[in-house]
Amino acid sequence: MLPNIDLRIANMIKAVEQVILPALPDRERLARDQAMLVAGHLRMIGDQWKWALAYEQISLDDLAGLGRVLLSHVAPLLQEQLEEALAVADTCDRSSITALEQANIVLGRVVDRIILGEGDPNPLPQAVADAVLDYGRRHARRERIWFKGNRLDPDQADLPDIGAMMAKA
Amino acid sequence: MEADMTDITEACAADGIDIWNRDDMEPRIREILDRTVRDRTKGPYAAKSDTDITAMLERYFDDQGLKEVAISDIARMAGGASKEQFAFLLRHEGNAVGERLVLRMDPLEAITQTCRGREAQAHRAFADILPVASVRGVDADGAVIGQPAIILDFVHGVTEPTRGKGHGVSGIGTRYDDWADRLAPQFIDALAKVHQFDWRGADLSYFAVPEAGTRQAAIWQVNWWSKVWWDGIVQPVALMAYTERWLRENAPVCEAPVMCHSDLRLGNFMFEEPSGRFTAVLDWELAHIGDFHEDIAWAMQRLFGTWTGKGDFLVCGLIPRAEFLRSYEALSGNHIDPVKLRYYEVLNAYKCAVIDLGQAMRAATESNNHQDLVLTWLGSAGAVFLEQLVTLMREA
Repeated sequence: MLPNIDLRIANMIKAVEQVILPALPDRERLARDQAMLVAGHLRMIGDQWKWALAYEQISLDDLAGLGRVLLSHVAPLLQEQLEEALAVADTCDRSSITALEQANIVLGRVVDRIILGEGDPNPLPQAVADAVLDYGRRHARRERIWFKGNRLDPDQADLPDIGAMMAKA
Repeated sequence: MEADMTDITEACAADGIDIWNRDDMEPRIREILDRTVRDRTKGPYAAKSDTDITAMLERYFDDQGLKEVAISDIARMAGGASKEQFAFLLRHEGNAVGERLVLRMDPLEAITQTCRGREAQAHRAFADILPVASVRGVDADGAVIGQPAIILDFVHGVTEPTRGKGHGVSGIGTRYDDWADRLAPQFIDALAKVHQFDWRGADLSYFAVPEAGTRQAAIWQVNWWSKVWWDGIVQPVALMAYTERWLRENAPVCEAPVMCHSDLRLGNFMFEEPSGRFTAVLDWELAHIGDFHEDIAWAMQRLFGTWTGKGDFLVCGLIPRAEFLRSYEALSGNHIDPVKLRYYEVLNAYKCAVIDLGQAMRAATESNNHQDLVLTWLGSAGAVFLEQLVTLMREA
């Protein structure tokens, strides 16, 4: 691919920062703010795009791991639906970001219903609570690293780069 | 950490609050949230042009009975992650010189869906108590202007030091540095005055009051924000469901509901330079009557703070946490309950996650905002709150 994606993203950032922004008068705050955000988003996309498919695979696998923990605690009402959603996660097209995202949504909906206690008036078992919190921590940490480039994270300095995270995954 | 369901059932019987009754919320909040879902399909929404704004304002002031209305000098204002905001000059038969006003208007969908009527009532209620912009007009449901809107006096001042080092979306990351000594006392004073306000004597007809001595204040908030989440959900997040359950099962009693600003933080007050005097407390759109711990916990969020060169955390970039709590207690007379404070830290992190990962993502997905790009930018910070939720609930 020539010119490749990285080069074109770099070109777009340069155009926004060195040509478009200086041409916008200070009073055009909305336009200036959005131009800066365009550059910021492009910079993040530049960090992310090569890893996007692998990221969605890891995300789905992690959620499926939580789903399998819930299997032994799920109320009869949702047992079959959880098994079906896990099957979708196992068999979806792992080369398609869209398919992975969709499988994540299907499974996530069932997981939500289990956590909220649908069909089960009993307290959430401690093992389930621990599993959800452990998963929640991994999910949040992964997303924080993925979007570290927005520089909004108060603890961004403590986070590794995307490449380091993916290498360890 | 997990509540015993027997205790919960007994507590429900004791205060009459069903923690799983999702219909238990302020009527006006329900109207706004239902309207959001109903209007969602009317998009996409585009940023209004000066021509659009002129026509909308002329229509409004004509409707108010002003003659020979002329709108000019329209300038879009900075910020506005939630509302479209414009300064403008109004001239009419009775005022040929003109006056500078501000239009604060809903886009079709924003990061928060709130009521301009409530906002106007909060401004009026605090007119003699705190520096707030005077209300010059309100179109609570957009019947005349076309979008719900409030018109305010123009207030001079800045939300961050002109020569400051830190600037960010919605004020996040603002550094006050040498200004902090002048701003912090006014900030705490504002919080105390909001909570000391006697809402019983004010015209707050758009508001409802949770029952004192029950868990209703907390449950109303959980029902509000969980409805926003479920009405707009783009992608499930297991931790959000878990947190909702935790919030219901751990809801504390509010002995004496007070007025809460609900978004008093850095970026939401204006001051003049060089005196540092507050000229306005801004953004009352989330105001409600509830538990004062909610406001304290909101101000203390990590995302709204900064760190000194020595690594000490400053609440809203102004004051160390312990000093903040001590000063607030002394000034307000309210005793801070650490268990309730922790509960509202969880609730507020949940609210922020709902805003960033729920409402903002839905509005951007539908292209229903004037700056969808800001919404996806803020959404990319949503996981910060998710990890906070895990930490807070584990420590609770």
